[in-house]
Amino acid sequence: MKMTAPEGLAVWLDRLAQEVNLIAPREIDGVLLYRPVRNSGEIVWEFTRPLLSIKEAFFPATERLLTIEKIGQQIKLTETLPKGEQVIFGVRPCDARGIKMLEALFTDTEPSDPYFTQRRENTTLIGLACRTMGATCFCTSLGGAPDDPGDMDVMLYEVENGFVIQVMTEKGQALLSRFSLETDDISENESEFRASYLCEQAERIVIPEMNAWAVKFDDPYWEQVSERCLSCRICAYVCPTCRCFDVRDEDLLSGNGHNQSERIRCWDSCAREAYRRIAGGHNPRQAKGQRLRNRFLCKFDYYPRQSALGTAACTGCGRCIDACPVNIDITEVMQHIVEVSQ
Amino acid sequence: MSYTYEIQTKARSLLESKQVDCVIGYEIGPRGRTRPAFIYQPEEVERLVWNQACTHNLTIYLKEQLDPQQSGRLKTKEQTPRHAAVVVKACDSRAVNVLLAENHFGREQLHVIGVVCDGIHEGAGEVGNQRSVRQFPAADPPQFQARCQRCIERVPVVFDTFIGERPSNQKSGMYENVLDDLDCLQAMTPTERTDFWLSQFDRCIRCYACRQACPMCSCPTCLYERDDSLWVGMGIGLNEKRTFHLGRAFHLAGRCIGCDECERVCPMDIPISLLNRRLIQEVETVFGYRAGMAQVPPPFVTVLSDR
Amino acid sequence: MILSECKNGHNPLVPYLGKLVKVRDLASEIKLFSVEMLDGGREALGSYFPGQFAFLSAFGVGEAPFGIASTPRRSSTLDFAVNRLGSVTNELHLLGEGDFVGVRGPLGNWFPMDEFKGKNLIVLGGGIGGAPLRPVIQTVLDNRQNYGHFTILWAARHPSLLVFTDEYDEWRSAPDTRLHLTVDQPDAVWDHNVGLITELLEKVSPSPEDAVSITCGPPVMIYYVNKVLDKLGFKPEQNYVTLEARMHCGVGKCGRCNLGEKLVCVDGPVFSMADVGKLSESFL
Repeated sequence: MKMTAPEGLAVWLDRLAQEVNLIAPREIDGVLLYRPVRNSGEIVWEFTRPLLSIKEAFFPATERLLTIEKIGQQIKLTETLPKGEQVIFGVRPCDARGIKMLEALFTDTEPSDPYFTQRRENTTLIGLACRTMGATCFCTSLGGAPDDPGDMDVMLYEVENGFVIQVMTEKGQALLSRFSLETDDISENESEFRASYLCEQAERIVIPEMNAWAVKFDDPYWEQVSERCLSCRICAYVCPTCRCFDVRDEDLLSGNGHNQSERIRCWDSCAREAYRRIAGGHNPRQAKGQRLRNRFLCKFDYYPRQSALGTAACTGCGRCIDACPVNIDITEVMQHIVEVSQ
Repeated sequence: MSYTYEIQTKARSLLESKQVDCVIGYEIGPRGRTRPAFIYQPEEVERLVWNQACTHNLTIYLKEQLDPQQSGRLKTKEQTPRHAAVVVKACDSRAVNVLLAENHFGREQLHVIGVVCDGIHEGAGEVGNQRSVRQFPAADPPQFQARCQRCIERVPVVFDTFIGERPSNQKSGMYENVLDDLDCLQAMTPTERTDFWLSQFDRCIRCYACRQACPMCSCPTCLYERDDSLWVGMGIGLNEKRTFHLGRAFHLAGRCIGCDECERVCPMDIPISLLNRRLIQEVETVFGYRAGMAQVPPPFVTVLSDR
Repeated sequence: MILSECKNGHNPLVPYLGKLVKVRDLASEIKLFSVEMLDGGREALGSYFPGQFAFLSAFGVGEAPFGIASTPRRSSTLDFAVNRLGSVTNELHLLGEGDFVGVRGPLGNWFPMDEFKGKNLIVLGGGIGGAPLRPVIQTVLDNRQNYGHFTILWAARHPSLLVFTDEYDEWRSAPDTRLHLTVDQPDAVWDHNVGLITELLEKVSPSPEDAVSITCGPPVMIYYVNKVLDKLGFKPEQNYVTLEARMHCGVGKCGRCNLGEKLVCVDGPVFSMADVGKLSESFL
């Protein structure tokens, strides 16, 4: 295995930032986010996880699908597929796992979504293993691990004198070949190293089986737990795997006399009240309990069945637990489902 | 006698005598976080607590509880108006007055349990300090939230049950300190102020938590969330976000009570309350009006007679 | 000349261009749009079957899903019945013949007309719900010998809301075919049945033997009609419905239109009531 010193890595990242869109954990007014960086100095190195996941880089909050131009009597449609290479540095295993879960629907389930798929092809993931798990992290309960390199292109492990590098894919190797990084060989081999890499792991929690969730569909629990829900969109937006979107045409200001608009898609959340309301006013999920139940069942029952995923669509990152203003806690909900399904 | 005990006792008596259908208060969750609680049975009142992490403005739940026709409930809708009790601090109590003045429900439906709050801690409602760049341990001793430091009411302005003792003296000294952020804002040139606000709105993800956490934001369909994009587009872009935040601030002028919950719930640490307080300052200066001190409509609101 | 730089076949979210060659009033606030596909769009759309839907784009406003109200056999254009109700439909109603729309489709599943062969069919349409049923009726009439007794119950709140009134004579005059009309509120000249479709259904009382029912209309109507069918002895497997839900992508990605684990755009919109019964979530 190879190792690199922090200075060498910094120089490498500086070069990378010149050539590609380098996205890394960065502090914006005190908030930690994965954002483009111009040099390695802007990168934050010590953190649990940024507030938003890397989902933004594959499925942006707002994305143009096509432009529509009305030129007199004619209509011109122009598809706007994403372009440009991106490298995301400092990816936590839970976030990389989240992208895999989104791929199961967007790419691996017909018809394939070309926007997400193109961005995925254009992106290389450089992971940074966690040393400890956060207070609300539970990735290990869902088959993940804070040092799991499985979904990365290149994985870094922080050690005393620098970073150990594990190349996971051809894409990762290609990046390291294109931009050469100063490395030293280390004496341990991979398995020795992995055994010695210490990461404090949290106690595992019991995850309900997929079939358990809908057993007591009309459980009054959903009404009770949702009473304090604000029906905002925070949980869906911070989640690495939530993917609901809205589509609409919006006008574009155009100076050339043509009537221009763009068709965009934006993040949406099934927790908000008008999510399923149709023109005419009928709303099959008028009650908060119905919406909250849908959100959890989608995560653990529906999405796995609607996509090629087959397992729970949760990475255990714990963002929703931290971010919910009223402490609606996914681990409490899971505990309840386990209890009633026994 | 602790406030917790008094709240529990009152709740039990209100539920047993069927004066109310529900008591909205605070409880502590399994992770130790204080959070809103809805108590329907006298046997459950022991869940209720009072502590210095009781940050939520529980009046946001009053419309749902007291007028179930307005928002759907899984239970069958009842014909008779419901009754509820709510635990409020001084700031929250002012929201009660604004909601009553705007005819959202009747005074007789509500039993206000007003608590003389000693201040709410910074970081209340959160698990650790996850939003910051590094995980900091809680400050020792804990700091009070900015809104508590500048609180001049201290005591609920409307109540049916009063828990606590009126403080013998008003907090002094701190009041001036906390006006600092408004002063800083005013000291900026218009260009600097524009840049400042735009850079704050840039981080916004239009999660609408600020709006949902605000008792005064109660429009059935928000102007900024219409399906036909009539006033603002759907996109999560800077133009749209600026329109939303500035527009919302104007809609709250003279109605906002400065509870700062909008700012607390914001996942992106945007100083939303600062914007609202700037307008509160204007309304107080120009109209001599402070929202929620009495059950009268704010200067910019015309209330129709029907609900 | 129409320009489109999109490789439509590869991108499921980009529409084909279509021209409105005919727009006529179908009922109060309901228009029938006949769309001629352009630029190879008709070939790309290919074959489509009764029950399927497509997204119509009112460019500049957005898209919405509509049942396809025509059959390829009878029509070279695609027909859509559009009720003016929301932002997209309002914009569509402003368009006239010669204007352009976008079409994404055909989407969803379809009525298993082959499985219905040899069976007696009961078709129940409420209001604009009749639109996705028109291709079913046309398919039966064009292959009359393949199906048994054919009973059509057609309803609306008011005579002005009945759809395809100019086709009733063709339907009535087909062999072994009965058309029953009903409205909740008659007008001065109405001389057919008055009452809810459920009452009409009880009156007509079709036999469940070797029969299949197909219902389309508002969710509440579908619910109560199926309760009556249940009472008449129909088993859930014999009853088919087409459901609607708010949709934004139509291809199973945006997640919005789910009923439990099923997506109305991909697993529907056609369901048998046996399938609907297995769903944890109600369509109401």
